[in-house]
Amino acid sequence: MNLPEHELARKLVQHLDQGVDRLGPGVRERLVTARNAALSKYREQPAPVLGLAWAGQAAARITEPGFYDARNLIAVAALVLALVGVGYWQISAPGNDVADIDTNLLTDELPVSAYLDKGFDSWLKRSPR
Amino acid sequence: MPCGGQPAATRTKKASPLATQKELSDFFIEVERRAYKQALYAVRDDHQALDIVQDAMLKLTEKYASRPPAELPLVFQRILQNTIRDFYRRQKVRALWTTPISSLFGPDAEGDSDPLETLEVQDDSKFSEPPAEQLERSQVLALIEKALQQLPARQRQAFLLRYWEELDVAAAAKIMGCSEGSVKTHCSRAAHALATILEKQGIKL
Repeated sequence: MNLPEHELARKLVQHLDQGVDRLGPGVRERLVTARNAALSKYREQPAPVLGLAWAGQAAARITEPGFYDARNLIAVAALVLALVGVGYWQISAPGNDVADIDTNLLTDELPVSAYLDKGFDSWLKRSPR
Repeated sequence: MPCGGQPAATRTKKASPLATQKELSDFFIEVERRAYKQALYAVRDDHQALDIVQDAMLKLTEKYASRPPAELPLVFQRILQNTIRDFYRRQKVRALWTTPISSLFGPDAEGDSDPLETLEVQDDSKFSEPPAEQLERSQVLALIEKALQQLPARQRQAFLLRYWEELDVAAAAKIMGCSEGSVKTHCSRAAHALATILEKQGIKL
């Protein structure tokens, strides 16, 4: 049999195709079950990475025309004001007392170890007099 | 081709035409039986073959359903071939454990032979006498399928991808993870081996 490769392949494939058409009912049934099981997992759009999904939605919302109505603007303004308020309060709030004391202690001419000295303590008590 | 589907104009603003469930279903209907046969030739067990096809369909639906329908055949073939290869690997690992144990309990006649040796056809085969035209079509098919099963895995894979799935050499090479030259060599050897086997069986195509 000296058929060229393609010719031989074509003839073999014809037989194979016939074999496929003559599959038993049991196998066909199993294939239908398998197909349905696979298709039940189908989703319109596979879940993308969460962060990107969020970013995309946010961008879409901002660019959509109804975004700049009065209610949204008031809400955004309130949010910005609140953020500015929090920032200002953080800066101007009465400084942390503990931090001030620490700073004073460390920058003082008196070494820190002096406070551990019992003699110094009693000298302090006596000194006002 | 299942990629006919919806025309692009009817789709929403997104440009990439994704496979709908219907398109995916049509695609499976078209390929599932051939896929089953391919798996069957490779693993020679119908339950395992059905499992492999189901696995491949599940993977395609879960991970690659977002691909345009035109890409589905190639992606599915790649998944199918990988699933078959995974089966071989599992079998190899199992054999690694079971062979030393079974060798303790008596001589193993088969041994680990060169796959080409399996191409030998026994002379006392009941099909050796001509004429072949007396054979039913189904018998011819059975012999062809048996011959396919006897081929080394890579040759069978190349032959089926090229001629049954009608993929071009480049696509087959991509799926098989080898060069285009290797695909051609495997195909040519497969065709030659099949011709030899069938000739010995007295079959004229």
